[in-house]
Parts: sequence; structure tokens; C-alpha cells
Amino acid sequence: MPFVWQSPLQTPLGLRSMFRDFVFSRLREWHTKRHDAMRAEKCGARRNRATRCSSIATTDRDSAQPPDRITSREREFAIRMASNPSARRLSSAIFRNGLAVALVAAALGLTFVLQSVVSTAGYLFFYIAVVASAWFGGKWPGALAVVLSVLAVEYYFMAPIHSFGMNRESLPIFVEFAVSALVVGWFSSWRRQAETELQYARDELQLRVEERTAELQQTNRRLLAEMAERKRAEEAYYEAQAELARVTRLSAMGALAASISHEVNQPLAAVVTNADACMMWLSSDPPNLEEARAAVDSIAQQGTRASEVVRHIRAMFTKATPERTMVQVNDLIREMGTLLEGAAVRNQVTLHTELGADLPATVGDRVQLQQVIVNLILNGIEAMSDVTGRPRLLLIRSTMQNPDEVLVAVRDSGVGIALKDEKRIFDAFFTTKAQGMGMGLSISHSIIEAHGGRLWASANSDYGATLQFTLPAEREAAS
Amino acid sequence: MNDSDPIVFVVDDDESVREAVKRLIASVGLRVETFGSTREFLDAKRPEAPACLVLDVRLPDTSGLELQSDLAAANVHIPIIFVTGHADVPMTVRAMKAGAVEFLTKPFRGQELLDAIQNAIAKDRVAWNERAQMAELRARYDSLTPREKEVLVLVASGLLNKQIGAELGASELTIKTHRGRVMQKMAADSLADLVRMAERINPSGSTNK
Repeated sequence: MPFVWQSPLQTPLGLRSMFRDFVFSRLREWHTKRHDAMRAEKCGARRNRATRCSSIATTDRDSAQPPDRITSREREFAIRMASNPSARRLSSAIFRNGLAVALVAAALGLTFVLQSVVSTAGYLFFYIAVVASAWFGGKWPGALAVVLSVLAVEYYFMAPIHSFGMNRESLPIFVEFAVSALVVGWFSSWRRQAETELQYARDELQLRVEERTAELQQTNRRLLAEMAERKRAEEAYYEAQAELARVTRLSAMGALAASISHEVNQPLAAVVTNADACMMWLSSDPPNLEEARAAVDSIAQQGTRASEVVRHIRAMFTKATPERTMVQVNDLIREMGTLLEGAAVRNQVTLHTELGADLPATVGDRVQLQQVIVNLILNGIEAMSDVTGRPRLLLIRSTMQNPDEVLVAVRDSGVGIALKDEKRIFDAFFTTKAQGMGMGLSISHSIIEAHGGRLWASANSDYGATLQFTLPAEREAAS
Repeated sequence: MNDSDPIVFVVDDDESVREAVKRLIASVGLRVETFGSTREFLDAKRPEAPACLVLDVRLPDTSGLELQSDLAAANVHIPIIFVTGHADVPMTVRAMKAGAVEFLTKPFRGQELLDAIQNAIAKDRVAWNERAQMAELRARYDSLTPREKEVLVLVASGLLNKQIGAELGASELTIKTHRGRVMQKMAADSLADLVRMAERINPSGSTNK
């Protein structure tokens, strides 16, 4: 009987989904009840354990307590209970047995109709009724359908008709029908059970998947929150760093401004005082012209000194495109040494120069090379700011490195350079100074390289460090 | 110029400023001595005369403010006029609280500095005279014998010769002789003069009785 074989497997989709919805709604209901009971029992003891599957979590969402994890045993039980809920057991049993009765009655009616047309028609509709009862009603409604069908067939269709009596001819047919109906009913109910169990398994799988999905979603949400938090922290870090850089820049500018104002203020003070002294000498009786002349002479000198300072500062800050002119490194060293003498004295540093005689000129940008020398000298002075117990000595030396290279070395007796930092000190923003920006040596390095020279640092054998650079010599100019 | 003429000391690390200030001060006829650092100033032998110090705050070795407190600690009382390239309020407050006469910001007008110097020297002259008188008195007092010192104390406290004699276990005549010698050695014109001198010196033990 192909119908019986195929029907359970090809239950219309609508029915299957109806059934699943039914199971799920029962499950939710049951879980809600069960959860309430469990919560009352456990009193939140397991409150912080992992969450349930989403379908269950939905029912818990409004409750103050976090949902408890349900074990797989609990879930299995829930599924089985859902298919046969005790609350509705009685009405469901009446409905299912009623279904069997109705189906058999329908089969009876249809068989009457069929037999009035075709006298040899069999009992197909009864089989259908049995199968349907066993399928939708379960084992006992199926059995009821079998019994009712057998009775109906015996009463209405077996000779003698309209009696439960049996004659010899119709007995085999009756037995055959009864056995067939029983077998069909049993088979249908067996298939149904298998199907249901499969469904359970599927539902369980789905529940598990949903549970895991919910867990994953939870984890995902947590990760997203963490990422957002991390991003916020990173942003805060960058902000703090930018602020620090700004403050450092400001304090560096403040120090520079103080230094410049000092450099300019000293000659100005001398000028004003000399002018006043000159007035005093001129207004004495008789006027002391010699003293007045000396004062005016000093005024002129100090005015020149102030303008020199201003000129040097301007030169340092002018962002002109690199010019290529003949430059004598010794001149540069002398000029910058004079400019930074005040800074050296304030830091109790003695500046020494050992300038090689007859050095060839080099071709380069005067201002940029000045900047390099200033950077190296200031760097050396600052390296010695914490030195006590030995002379703070800065030696600037210029020599011929080889026939076509001039070498300038700035040697300090400061804190020196750690071996691991010898390369890194030329990196931008690398600094060991609390106030430093880490730009000086980096800029110097690129300037020297742009001039075709090299700039490197090394630790001295005793203490302090030496920063030195080479520049290509221009032979024709030297001669 | 002789040794007790007022003198101005100038300490500034900038030679040009130092020279200009020296030229300015010399123009009003004051003696000037200049120093490049606090060390040089401390090492130099300073003449005994009313003086004042023109001091740069920013100096290579110890700062002007440190020198001020060092001098105070060493009981050297010399009026100080500070000059500085850039003064901030805490610096000024500190200097003035520690007794600076004036605080000038470079570049300053010559008259400002000269006024401050005159002011400081006048102040120091009073103190200097006081110190000189005190030193003189102290020298006279030190020339007294121990017995004479005892007599001086008792005379200053208002006792009669007879009472002093009873106190020291000596005759009235002996005390009279001592007293005459004390008057002579202390160069006192009258008894009242002697009592004033005794009060200024305030020799130890003058408060007993």
C-alpha cells in the first residue's frame, strides 16, 4: 500500500510546521512554568550562569533574574512533555478518539457511496481512516479506528449484512481485512512514532543551535562592547598623547622664547645703561668727554651684538629652500659657538673648539648646516645638565677625515648614549629628555644626508658621547 | 677717595652690562667694584665702608637669590639691588621679603639704578655708623678688667658706691677708684653717658640684681 508508506514521510509542509509550532509553543509554556518553579527553588543560586536559548530567553527577558541554564535532560523532558501536555491530556484524548470515530464514520459513508457505484469496491477508505487515526491520533485512537472499522465492515458489508454474524465464505475476507487494518494501523503508528522522534531530535538540534547561537551572539555582543571600550581607551590615549606633545612643544617654545629674550635683553640693557652713563658724564662740570665717548662706543658695539642675535635667530627660523653656497665649517662653528656661549655659561659648560687649519670649503645650505651645529651643541650641553663631579666640557673639533671629506665632531662629557640607542637617537620623536621633542637629531640627520654626508653618534671611552658628521669637501674652493 | 668712602659692588655675568653699570656709577663719583660671578664676589676682600650690592638674579654658578640668603646666613648685612632680564612675581616677592632694597628689570633707566644705589648706601651708612660705634664701644669695654666690668654693671644698675662696696666686699674708696677708671676707659662724659653705653653693650649679667 503505497499511500501508507509514503504518507508519513510526505506530510504536507503546512502540517509539519503547524506541528512544530505546536511543540514550540508548548515548550515555551512549559519552560516558563518550570523556570518559575526552579527560580523559586534555587533562589537565584545559579543566577550568573550562561543564558538559555533565545526562545526561552525571550520569556525571561522581562524577569529580573537572569535565566538559568537548562540541561539537555531537562530539554528532552520538556520536548516529550510538550507533545503530551498533562494539562490538556483529557480533552486531547477525547479529540483524538473522536477523530478516529469521525474518520471511520466518514470511511463508512464513502464506502456506501462507492459500493452503490462499484459493487466490488474494497475497504480502502477504512484503511485510510485507520492510517489517519494512527497518524494524527496516536496508538490508541489508531487501535480504536481498527476496532470500529472491523465492526463496521463486519456489520455492514459481510454477509449476513446488518448482523454481527459470520458465514463461512466471508470469514477469510473478514480476517484478511482485520489483519490488514491492524497491520496498517500498527505500521502507521510505528512510522509516526519514528517520525515524531526524528522531529524531537530535529527540534532538539534546533534548540541547541539556537542556544549556541544565542551564546555566540552574547559573546559577540560582549566582544563588540569590548572593542568599543578599547577604541575609546585608544582614543583617550591618543588625545592624552597629543596633549602631551602640545604641552611639550609649548614648553620648548617657552624655553626658546626665554633664551631669545635673554640673548637680546643683555645687549639692550647695556645700551640703555651706557646711554644714561654717557648723559651723566656729559652733564658733569666739566664734561668728561673721554668717558662719554667710551660709553657711546660701547652702545654701538652692543647694538651690533643685539642685531647679530636677531639675525641668527631669523636665519634659524627662515624656511628658505636649501641654497647651495660655499661654506667654511670653521666659520659656522665659530659663529654658532659665539651664539650659544650664553647657553653654555648658564649651564656651566665650557665650550672648546679645535678647528683644523686649511680645511677645504663644502657646498651646502648655510642656514641648515648652522642648524645642525646648533642642534649638536645644544644636545651636548643638555646631556651634561645633570653632570656633577667632573668638568662639563664640550669640545667641537673639525678635521679632514680623508682627502675629500671634512669631519666635525661634538664631544661632551655628559650622560652618554646607551649602546641600544646609538641608532635610535636619530629617529623622529626619540628622546631621553623630559622636555625634548626628539626632533633635533632627526632633522640634523636628514640635513647632513641631504648634503651627501653622514651623521653618527658613539659613546666615549670614558664618559659622554660624541656626535660627528662628515661633509664632502670642495677641492677647487680650498685651493 | 679714602677707605671709608661708600662703595658699590656689581655682580653680573655679562661683561658688557657690567662695564656699562660700572661706567654709570662712576659718573656720580662712587667707588665701584665689579665681579663676574658670586664666587668672585665672595672671594674678594671687601673694604670696610658703607656699601651696596647690585646683583644679577641669573648667574652662572649660584643665583643672585641664593647669594642673598647665603649672605644673610653669614650675618653679612649689605643692601642688595636686584637686576634681572625677566622677573616673575614669586622671584620678586622672595627677593623683597629677604630684604632687597630694589628690584629692577633690564633694561632699566640709569637714574632708577642710581636712586636705588643712593638709597641703599644711605641705609647702609646708618647701619655702618652704628656698627662702627658699636665696635668702638665693644673695644673700650673689652679693655676693662674683670673687676671694673663688675663695677660697671652695678653702677649702671643705679647702686651707690657704698652699696657696690658692700656687694663686692670692698671699701667705698676702692670702688670710687674703679669707677673713675671705668669712666676714663669708656670715655664717658657723665654718669648718664656711662649708663647709656652700658645699656648698648648690654654686657652679660647686667640684668641681675
